[in-house]
Amino acid sequence: MNKFRIEITKGEGIRYISHLDYAALIERAICRSGLPAAYSEGFNPHMKIAFASALAVGVTSDAEYMDIELAKPVCQPEFFDRLKENLPEGAKLLKAKQFEEKHKALMAEVDLAGYEIKVPLHGALVEALKAVKKYNDEAEVFYKRVTPKKMREIEVKQYMKSDIQLQGNDDMLILHMQVTITSSGSIKPGEILELLKDSFGMPIEPMEALINRQTLSGRGKPLIDLV
Amino acid sequence: MVKLEPAVLQAVSKPARYTGNEWNAIKKDHSKVACTFALALPDVYEVGMSNLGIKILYEVLNKRADTAAERVFAPWIDMEAKMREQDIPLFSLETFTEIKDFDLIGFSLQYEMIYTNMLNMLDLAHIPLWSKDRSNTDTFVVGGGPCVYNTEPISAFFDFFIIGEGEEVICEVAAAFCTWKRENRKGGRNGFLQQVAEINGVYVPSFYEPVYDEAELFKEIKIIDEHAKKIVYKRVVKDMDAIDFVEKPVVPYIDIVHDRIMLELFRGCSRGCRFCQAGIAYRPVRERTEKRLKDLARKLIDTTGYDEISLTSLSSADYSCLGALVDDLMDEFKDEKVSFSLPSLRIDSFSIDLAHKMQKVRKSGLTFAPEAGTQRLRDVINKGVTEEDLITAASAAFRQGWKSVKLYFMIGLPTETDEDVIGIARLAQRVVDLYKEVKGRRGVKVTVSAACFVPKPYTPFQWFSQNSLEEFERKQQLLKEHIHDRSIQFNYHDAHVSYLEGAIARGDRRLAKVIHQAWQDGAKFDGWSDQFKYEIWIKAFEKCGIDPRFYNQRERTVTERLPWEHTSPGVNKEFLLREYHRALKGELTEDCRHGECSACGICPNLDVKVVDWGKKNE
Repeated sequence: MNKFRIEITKGEGIRYISHLDYAALIERAICRSGLPAAYSEGFNPHMKIAFASALAVGVTSDAEYMDIELAKPVCQPEFFDRLKENLPEGAKLLKAKQFEEKHKALMAEVDLAGYEIKVPLHGALVEALKAVKKYNDEAEVFYKRVTPKKMREIEVKQYMKSDIQLQGNDDMLILHMQVTITSSGSIKPGEILELLKDSFGMPIEPMEALINRQTLSGRGKPLIDLV
Repeated sequence: MVKLEPAVLQAVSKPARYTGNEWNAIKKDHSKVACTFALALPDVYEVGMSNLGIKILYEVLNKRADTAAERVFAPWIDMEAKMREQDIPLFSLETFTEIKDFDLIGFSLQYEMIYTNMLNMLDLAHIPLWSKDRSNTDTFVVGGGPCVYNTEPISAFFDFFIIGEGEEVICEVAAAFCTWKRENRKGGRNGFLQQVAEINGVYVPSFYEPVYDEAELFKEIKIIDEHAKKIVYKRVVKDMDAIDFVEKPVVPYIDIVHDRIMLELFRGCSRGCRFCQAGIAYRPVRERTEKRLKDLARKLIDTTGYDEISLTSLSSADYSCLGALVDDLMDEFKDEKVSFSLPSLRIDSFSIDLAHKMQKVRKSGLTFAPEAGTQRLRDVINKGVTEEDLITAASAAFRQGWKSVKLYFMIGLPTETDEDVIGIARLAQRVVDLYKEVKGRRGVKVTVSAACFVPKPYTPFQWFSQNSLEEFERKQQLLKEHIHDRSIQFNYHDAHVSYLEGAIARGDRRLAKVIHQAWQDGAKFDGWSDQFKYEIWIKAFEKCGIDPRFYNQRERTVTERLPWEHTSPGVNKEFLLREYHRALKGELTEDCRHGECSACGICPNLDVKVVDWGKKNE
């Protein structure tokens, strides 16, 4: 097995690309790097890359993770250098760890995401503090997720690992939240912002928020440390 | 520098259209270059990024140390609304510089229905729309692309046009700009225009003035500046191997229309289809060598990471060394999962075998363009294809496993009768029946597309009167009524778009105010069927007191002076006329690269030669 788990950013320059675009970007970087990627069999072979968790359009990340399988062995320094120099500005390769043994899929390992959100304040700081406190104190909060196909009501608090932390001044708020990722689903930080505005009276415009995923972990450890 | 707030980008569809930063994008410090050149294609990012011409110009301009070239495309409706609401000016994708701060902006003009978008972009950039209103500090507005063989309807919006192939002349323009700037902008705005007017292939419309006669017919174009040439001939690259090609194209993050490497095999097509403007505009055929193409393919794969190469040309299957090229490329890239595609197929079994080789496992649809439904009409348009050719090619395709075929036709061609229209249905039916014969079962899908013919300048049909709206629609219905088989899907184009395209394509300078009026009244993205608003256009014609039928429905006499004859692809009028008469008689003309020279005049007029490597190796 010639597998690498990598830790990589999704930076400001590529904030507005989708998860699929991000995946294509990685694939093209691997092609450019000349690394011997492994491909699936079948009519429409695709590169063997597995992602931990999709990131929404407009969200950056300090640490994304993926497992990349190669068809031939390559040593770690060579893998790291060749991939790094073929990645665009916004995708910075931080770590790459080679692993041999069979391993649970990344998607199954990840259970927690930490976010930092910066959002302009359009009102009094005290109102924002009150809204967050009220949100934190509720036992259950429901969010209506509307997709083109259907509408679904989701209980949100089950995904909150801990209370939302709020700092800020009269212009800008900084929120920190830890959101659990389960096999049956999760909640997006943007959706929590909508709730805070619509149901808890927080004086913000969710569209103005800059959301950054700071951590992705499994069993209390960064995903890179699980291999 | 324009800064886009998250509230703007989160509110629009596909925000990555506006955020640049792609792999291979070139960012230069504007304070360290003498010339800044914005390259624009007045359609959305996904369309603009798929244009090979822009890629080439971007690369050749940026190779110059004294020049920075950046890209800009038309913002989609939602983004435009945000930009207007928040007073965000049009900006470039590399350095987010305001477009009005560029020295030049070059628009790639691919077809007539994009003109309102071009005006909209100038407006969003805060550049005066009319060239006469621009002052010494304003950006120079340059046009290029296929529309330059009749620039007249939009000439009032442009400072100058580049006629023909741009990669050499655009560098001469950039060099001239640097010199003019170094010499303290000698002579002001007009001084620069006088300098570029001397460059071969550059047309400065303000140095010419049209004269119309009592009957409102175009009489002549008068030269009013001594730097202007009587006729501006297109520029043409003589040696395709020697010229720079794209080696490091910008790789987009989002899916674009042609999201793959475009490897240009050759330029030109001399099959001589009489409706085709490109056939005249890009003559003569000039091939790249197989060796050069293989080198380019390797470089392009390495610099982009793409896994697909499209072998592009006007008719790629005519590349003289295609079989060997495809074999070599497939061999070279077999371990890298690179696939190849041919965008245009010839109607013969050679093409089918090649396509089969290239699409070993998945057989996407095949497209053929018989263009007309009967042999008589195919002879009129000099489409050297017989029904037997189509049947042979389609049987080969069905035997190889294809199950879906697209057939492209035109309606409204000169001399067309109802029998010709019904012939389209008959031919499609024959293909359906053929599948059953070959495979012994049903299950084929035949898609028939019928475009409405638009006569274009510099074709043998430039004198011909376009069908009326009613006639187009009647023929569409007629064809529909004659298609009975459920295996045939019939698509037809909105005749209204072709009707307007017909008016603008052969228009003159008097149309500028109509285009301006239509834009003012909200016309944009006219090429997008969900955005096209015919009413606005027709009202704009009325408001300006101009009847579109004067331009699209009127049969011109062969002695009439045509308003586009001073920007020329180099073809002799006698040739076009000869072809027109042969068309009416249904006489075929040979492809000059294999057969006899048909004396179109382009090679001697432009001092250029046909380059066919297959022939040289014989």
